[in-house]
Amino acid sequence: MSDNPLHTPRALNGRAPDVFRKGAWVPMREYSQNEAVDFVVIGTGAGGGPLIARLAEMGYSVIGFDAGAYFRPLEDFASDETSQSQLYWTDERLIDGANPIKMGSNNSGKAVGGSTVHFAMVSLRFRPEWFQSRTKLGYAVDWPLDWREMWRYYDKAERDLAIAGPISYPWGPKRPRYPYRAHEIGGAAEWLARGAEAMGYQWSETPLATVSAPRGDSPSCVYRGFCRVGCSTNAKQSQLVTYIPRALKAGAEIRDLAMVGRIETNAQGLATGVHYHREGQWHFQRAKQVIVAGYAIETPRLLLNSATDRFPDGLANRSGYLGRNLMVQSNQAVYGRMKEMVRWNKGPPSLTITEHWNYEDKKDFFGGYCWMAQGPLPLEWSAAVSSSRGLWGEALRQKMMDYNHQVGLKMVGEMLPSMENRVTLAEEKDQYGLPITRITYGWQDNDKTMIQHALGEMQRSLELVGAQDIWRQENDTNHLAGTARMGFSAESSVVDADCRSWDVPNLWICDGSIFPTTGGVNPSLTITAIALRTADRIQTLHRQGKITL
Amino acid sequence: MARYKGPRGAAGWALGLTGALTAACFAAATRGGRMARHPATPPRASEPPPSPEKATLAARRLNRSAGTLAASVLFDSAVEHYRGDFENRAMYTPIVTSALALAVSAHGTFDKSPAAHKIRDGVYLLTGVVGLIGTGFHVWNVVQKPGRFIWQNLFYGAPLGAPMAIGLSGLLGFFSERVRDTPIGQTPRLFGLPAGRVIGAVSGAGMVGTTAEAGLLHFRGSFHDPFMALPVTMPPAAAAALTNASLGAARTDRRLTRWWLRATAIMGVSGTVFHAIGVGRDMDGWRNIQQNLLNGPPIPAPPAFTGLALAGLAALDLMEDDSDV
Repeated sequence: MSDNPLHTPRALNGRAPDVFRKGAWVPMREYSQNEAVDFVVIGTGAGGGPLIARLAEMGYSVIGFDAGAYFRPLEDFASDETSQSQLYWTDERLIDGANPIKMGSNNSGKAVGGSTVHFAMVSLRFRPEWFQSRTKLGYAVDWPLDWREMWRYYDKAERDLAIAGPISYPWGPKRPRYPYRAHEIGGAAEWLARGAEAMGYQWSETPLATVSAPRGDSPSCVYRGFCRVGCSTNAKQSQLVTYIPRALKAGAEIRDLAMVGRIETNAQGLATGVHYHREGQWHFQRAKQVIVAGYAIETPRLLLNSATDRFPDGLANRSGYLGRNLMVQSNQAVYGRMKEMVRWNKGPPSLTITEHWNYEDKKDFFGGYCWMAQGPLPLEWSAAVSSSRGLWGEALRQKMMDYNHQVGLKMVGEMLPSMENRVTLAEEKDQYGLPITRITYGWQDNDKTMIQHALGEMQRSLELVGAQDIWRQENDTNHLAGTARMGFSAESSVVDADCRSWDVPNLWICDGSIFPTTGGVNPSLTITAIALRTADRIQTLHRQGKITL
Repeated sequence: MARYKGPRGAAGWALGLTGALTAACFAAATRGGRMARHPATPPRASEPPPSPEKATLAARRLNRSAGTLAASVLFDSAVEHYRGDFENRAMYTPIVTSALALAVSAHGTFDKSPAAHKIRDGVYLLTGVVGLIGTGFHVWNVVQKPGRFIWQNLFYGAPLGAPMAIGLSGLLGFFSERVRDTPIGQTPRLFGLPAGRVIGAVSGAGMVGTTAEAGLLHFRGSFHDPFMALPVTMPPAAAAALTNASLGAARTDRRLTRWWLRATAIMGVSGTVFHAIGVGRDMDGWRNIQQNLLNGPPIPAPPAFTGLALAGLAALDLMEDDSDV
């Protein structure tokens, strides 16, 4: 039998890969398709992973589905950027709008563990006011969640992921000490710090989900620098090496290479299970509760594709908000060349950060942004240089000779929600015979103002430390949010504060798509914190008899 | 990669017992002079004259402790400065001086002559000065970094406390030569003070400083293994007991202090084993020795505690040998 994880499922026959040992397996409980399990979770990333683990640990029967492969990092991950594009969700999608989103590397993953297998490990908390951005800051909408409660779940998420962060974080309310100490900062990160000091801004080591000392079977980070194309040492605390092993130990089943195409609902309007494609054919798994955690493109796609006569516009879409308010984050950068050797590819790419403009409100735009040090690998860098500066041939080759002297600052900025930015279904079908998505996106004036502000600030930072040959990369975006907004009422949102659909009481959505606003920091830790909260809420609601199992 | 997951079974019990003993030692030390088993000091009239053989023996023991420290520094600074690519030529200095200190300490340890040796003396003096200058270099390195004296730079910049290990080696060696030089019929003295008490106090202070460094670096490692707590608990207890002895009555049989110093000496040596296990836990463990030896826990560092504990034992000898009032 082939052991190519992209072609043959690995979680089969009562066992799943032991990600910590080459060729080894761990036992896995398996459920019959005819048995209505308590929970089916679709997606195993930052939202699905913690839910599968926590619900299984609470004693529920849980199956986690993922369309992607079950990788063994120690064996499958090459030090090769091209080969590692196997981690991205690169299935066909149509993109349009004024600013079409480039899909793949920095916004969607297709693997057990989801995008966390290749995320940059940046684990930041929201600014508390963002949970009430309408009331406190005057833009967009409020969240139905209280930041103080979120603060407790952030604590838990940081402990579970052994986040390595600074002793004291300069922004926001007090938080407990990070479980692991911050990593040693590298060349590019040091230039961010010097630039921030020259500007009079605070800077900090970035809290990262990669361990700075051994943890269980994870060795400490060796600063290989391939974090965003898959960590081959398991230092990165992705879902694949944290919550998923916990889930298996607690009796959950994982089905890899299992693409869920439709959620079945009965005459009473309740979900009864999921149709999924695995090993060349369609199957049906019965379930009492269905949780969708496929991120902001695949989640609305699945729900839109599950339309019935009773739910003609898709499941959980009475409000008409499903698929709308898609948000990305602005991810523009400024690069320059230092006289000194920098070697920016060494170590995790975002070792230092300044959140100055997330917490400073004297500005002429809504929302906030941070910027972090950069360390793109050579292929990614050559692609950026050739596309943004139009260099090719000898000129590009010459520019690449400066690789070890490059520095860069990259923003993560909050784009505001708009009903016009959305995900819909196209006529065209994919390899499973499912309609592919059309992703429509355009920047608004506020987004553009913020981007120009950030580019100016980052450029000033580089100029102050003496960088030369400075240029701006103006077209990049990353991360996804929105499309299944959480809110206060069934009329203006898709799910409630517990991530439970207003329309289908045994259908839940728990991933970045429930974000009403996206904030100016990377979203993964917030997704995980919400998933941990949702698991607790499910248990409480079950105990109160408000969930039928 | 080793599958070590922290102390289990017997190892866990041993750690618990050591912790309990550490607490007991601390409690006893803070209770003052009552740690002495036989606190009675004989009347001066009946005291035997100071013995030059005993002074020489104590001096040789001090040579041994200075040599232990020098060996630790030799290998540790070699590994760490190689890791730093000898970016500054001055980074060769501690390797040369600690090698010299190690050589003269070995010579002194086997030398039964009751007089100081000029070359040994010179090397020890040089070593002590190099320790001070090295501290200056390390401070300079830290203040060059953005943020200066912030945790990031204390964790990952040049370690501020490390050069004083070689400084202490030189100082203890220098003391050793003074003790050896004690005129017949006199008790060993340093700067006009009883030698045992001075060396006890200096060793205790050295242990506190070394503990601070181990504490800082183990904190950097998030104390991920409970055994990492030993070098920040046992040596301070030893230092407390030693200081207690240095300030207490002379000619006292301090059995508990003695045993505690021995235990600390053993802990220092066994630290190399723990650090070797730590190297094994890093990616690809000992197969990837080229990387992990440099970036894993420093294997040669822990015996610095052994060197200081041995100096403490030599100081106890001096204090117990002679009444110095």
